[in-house]
Amino acid sequence: MTPTAKPPIWRNVRFLAWAFQLVALALVVTLIAILANNVRVNSANLGVPVGLDFLKQPASFEIPANEFRSTQSVQSAMVQGALNTLRVAILGIVLATILGVLVGIGRLSGNWLVRNLSRIFVESIRNIPLLGIVVFAYLALVLSALPSVQESWELSGLVIANTRGTSGPWFTGAIVNVLASAALAGLVAWLIRRWRLSRLDQYGEAPNVFWWTAPVFVLVMFWTAFLLGIGVTTPMVDGRRVVGGITLQPEYFALLIALVIYTASHIAEIVRGSIQAVPRGQAEASMAMALSPVQRMRFVILPQATRIALPPLGNQYLNLLKNSSLGFVISYFELTKVTSTTIGNRSPAVPAYLLMMLLYLIASLSISAVVNFFNRRLRIH
Amino acid sequence: MTSMSKLLALLLAIVLAAGACTSSTTDNANTDSAAPADDAGETSDEGEPSDDADTEEEVVQLVQDEGGTLDAVLAAGVVRCGTRDALPGFAVLQNDGTHEGFDNDFCRAIAAAVLGDADAVEFIDLETADRFTALQSGEIDVLVRNTTWTASRDGGEGATFLQPNFYDGQGMMVAADSGIASVSDMDGTVVCVASGTTTEGNVANEFARLGIDGEVLSFESTDLIQEAFIAGRCDGWSSDVSQLSGLRSAFPDGPDSLTILPDVFSKEPLAPAVRDGDTAWAQAVNWAVFATIQAEEFGITSANVDDFLTSENPSILTFLGVEVDGATLDPGLGLPVDANYQVISQVGNYGEIFDTHIAPLGLARGENALWFDGGLLYAPPYR
Repeated sequence: MTPTAKPPIWRNVRFLAWAFQLVALALVVTLIAILANNVRVNSANLGVPVGLDFLKQPASFEIPANEFRSTQSVQSAMVQGALNTLRVAILGIVLATILGVLVGIGRLSGNWLVRNLSRIFVESIRNIPLLGIVVFAYLALVLSALPSVQESWELSGLVIANTRGTSGPWFTGAIVNVLASAALAGLVAWLIRRWRLSRLDQYGEAPNVFWWTAPVFVLVMFWTAFLLGIGVTTPMVDGRRVVGGITLQPEYFALLIALVIYTASHIAEIVRGSIQAVPRGQAEASMAMALSPVQRMRFVILPQATRIALPPLGNQYLNLLKNSSLGFVISYFELTKVTSTTIGNRSPAVPAYLLMMLLYLIASLSISAVVNFFNRRLRIH
Repeated sequence: MTSMSKLLALLLAIVLAAGACTSSTTDNANTDSAAPADDAGETSDEGEPSDDADTEEEVVQLVQDEGGTLDAVLAAGVVRCGTRDALPGFAVLQNDGTHEGFDNDFCRAIAAAVLGDADAVEFIDLETADRFTALQSGEIDVLVRNTTWTASRDGGEGATFLQPNFYDGQGMMVAADSGIASVSDMDGTVVCVASGTTTEGNVANEFARLGIDGEVLSFESTDLIQEAFIAGRCDGWSSDVSQLSGLRSAFPDGPDSLTILPDVFSKEPLAPAVRDGDTAWAQAVNWAVFATIQAEEFGITSANVDDFLTSENPSILTFLGVEVDGATLDPGLGLPVDANYQVISQVGNYGEIFDTHIAPLGLARGENALWFDGGLLYAPPYR
């Protein structure tokens, strides 16, 4: 064969590449069509509805601690479940990050005790199935540790803890007003912070951001709260229940604890690896500049480690969100629990689970989007 | 390059095969009722349900085939009965691997009626939330698992409910020293229930009716409810009275530490269920249940059934499938003529089953007595 001869079509790389893509696409489309058709045909034969009409039906179950009545629709139940998932996932992500970073730094500490305690924490927790941790946290850490409602622990009338939950002071009035008040105070504080930083840039004044913003924040919140008619309630034991204040359920606590320590054990390893990936010269240079160990970590090492750690951290955040579905075992009404309960109350399984998966997907992609946003900002151009 | 084209050829083959599968699926859907003999033949070599994809497909075809379950059970020689494994009195998996309980005995009665062998049952343990899916998908032939017959389950789950084998009602259990004497004392309390059941809604409705306020917590497993109850997470434990009696009898601190309140606030007819649109199988299951009731009406027990084979009463002889004046009644239910005899001799009548499994829990016959004793059990005449 001469070098100039055109190769036959089955040896043409461009053709093969295209053909391969087309075949792969056809395969995927065919598979999905088969599955969808199976669901449709089988459901029709069994007389099981596949539409979303079930969302309009009454839920017939209550969601504890959410004042969700059993006469409300399945749709509102699913929404409430999704909100409960976010409630545990968002706080869990924040706390797991804090704990994970501390333990990760601890694993590299020069202190023998801190280093080995961190190591034991990581090696034991991340090698236990999360389900075991969730059930243990619920039965052993929360339910057995707390007293019954008649023998509640009280802290000067502000905090009350028992097996019904842990209650603390909270705002009265519409939650929208509370949020609006907090948002306004936050905005004012942010403007002051900008002003302080600009003074730092222009005149080299010490910014003292915290001491400027914190009192302003409190004052603004106080005055807007007063104007919008927001008050404060404290919890009180009344017979078999706690009234007033805000109550966090034991189920929420247990799930939060389990998710936080489990995810933190994974985050700690990511943090340790990322710190070790920062070139050694950086640490040596900052030591040469006489930075304290805390300053070295805060201003030199961690900013560079964050850039390395962020993508795997994002994975852990997604895992935490998905793992929150284990709350269904201990009766925390997150999305999975609500979905399985509503199916037990005769909602059709296939569309209900599809809807549940779609909601998880939306939440996961939102977290990914946030992580990617920060990832882009930290990128070196 | 050659490996590339081999891969291509393989992919093409897969696509072609997949395409062929789609068209054959639709073919079956359109022509399923035309060849019932074929389907029965296909399932006969299936025997046990397995994870094998081929078997799954056959089960689905079977489900699509109206009236196929009876044929499939006869061909397989075994009734796949959906029960549970840890409900004292109703269905308990013993340490030696046998299943003992009220529901299990009704599975055996069905097998005795259809196949003539009370042991030809495969018990499949199901979680509460999975039971209807297992029925719909054809994993089980009949569901005898403390399942309440309600309108929306009848309509929405692809299930047909049959003659109830137990009339239950929902009750409330509290700690004996709690100071709660009736449900109306339970303002501000927390009640634990099993999730995926009608129980949750019933508690909420009863609280609303009494104008009191309370929370309902639902758990996936009975063990967790018990732990939460012991820890004081909930004041009340609500379920069907029959279940509460069983749980109370097995409570770690002894049955006397718990009290079942006198309030019964729901109707819970527990009935076997089969797939929708399967009339022949539904009739077979129904008449197996009726056989136990009718036997008690006649006073026939597993001990004395052979004496009745020479009875003077033609109704009893007909019922037992004995020739009367040279003729044997075959009502056309698809069951052997001696089906009732097999049920009574191998399993027993309703009263015997109740006394063996339910009476030890401390429950009286109540609604589950025969109609002439003031109960609700009433079998249509066998003629």
